[in-house]
Amino acid sequence: MSSPFCPQSVGADTEAMLIKIDLHSTGFEPLVVLEHWQQAQSGIAASAAEAHFIGRVRGVAADGCALEALELEHYPGMTEQQLEQLARDCCSRHGVNRCLVQHRIGRVLPGEAIVLVAIGADRRGPAQRCCQELLEALKHHAPFWKREWRSDGNREWLSGNTPL
Amino acid sequence: MVSVVAADVPRVGTIRILLFAGLRERAGWGEQHWPANPGCAAGLTPRELWLQLQLPGELGSQVRVAINRQFADADTPLRAGDELAFLPPISGG
Repeated sequence: MSSPFCPQSVGADTEAMLIKIDLHSTGFEPLVVLEHWQQAQSGIAASAAEAHFIGRVRGVAADGCALEALELEHYPGMTEQQLEQLARDCCSRHGVNRCLVQHRIGRVLPGEAIVLVAIGADRRGPAQRCCQELLEALKHHAPFWKREWRSDGNREWLSGNTPL
Repeated sequence: MVSVVAADVPRVGTIRILLFAGLRERAGWGEQHWPANPGCAAGLTPRELWLQLQLPGELGSQVRVAINRQFADADTPLRAGDELAFLPPISGG
C-alpha cells in the first residue's frame, strides 16, 4: 500500500514482518516519513530499539568535479520485488519485525535524501546489524543505476558503490 | 538465421530482452523481442543470446542476468514468454 504522505510512491507492505517499501519519483523528507512510520507503531506495539540510516547525494562527483545532479534508473517490477525479498531475508536473519525502506528514483539533487532504511527491533544489536546489512544488500543487489550529471557538462554511469 | 523484431509490447512466442543504464546506451537499444524456437529441444540461454546480439562488456563479471525479474544463471534455458534482462553493475543506495 502506498504511503498517504507520499502519493507518488509505490510499494508494498507484507503482513507478518511489517515491511514497508516505497520508491519516490520526487523528493521526500526522511524525518517526516520516519515520524509517520513511528506513529504507526506507537504504544505497546512500539519497538524498543530502532536503527536508522539516511543517505544523501554528495555535492561532488567521483572525479572531484562539482555534481549538478544524480540520476537514478531502476528496473520497474524487479527493483520493488528485490527490495522486498532482501528486506524479508535480512529481517528474518536478525529476528527483527519492522522495516522501512524508502528510495529515490529519477533526478536527485545534492543534499536531497536518496535512501532511508529504518529497522525496529527488541534490541539495539539486531536493529543496528540488520540496518547496516540491509543497506549494503540493497546497494549491491537491488537493480538501481546511478548516473552523475557533472557541472562541467559530462554525464557518466557509475560502475559501483562508494567504499563503506 | 534468427531475426530480431521491433520492440513494443510482449509478443506470444518470443523472449523479451531488456537492457538498462550504460549497457542500453552502449548497445543503442533498450528492448527487443527475440523469437523463441519451439522446435529446439535445448532452450536458448542468456549467454548464447548475449553472444548473438554482440552486446558490449563482459557477461558474468560485469553484467548480471535476470529472468522474469529474478537473478539467474547465464546458462539457464529460456522459454517463450520469458523476460530476460541484462543488468550492468548495480549502484543503489
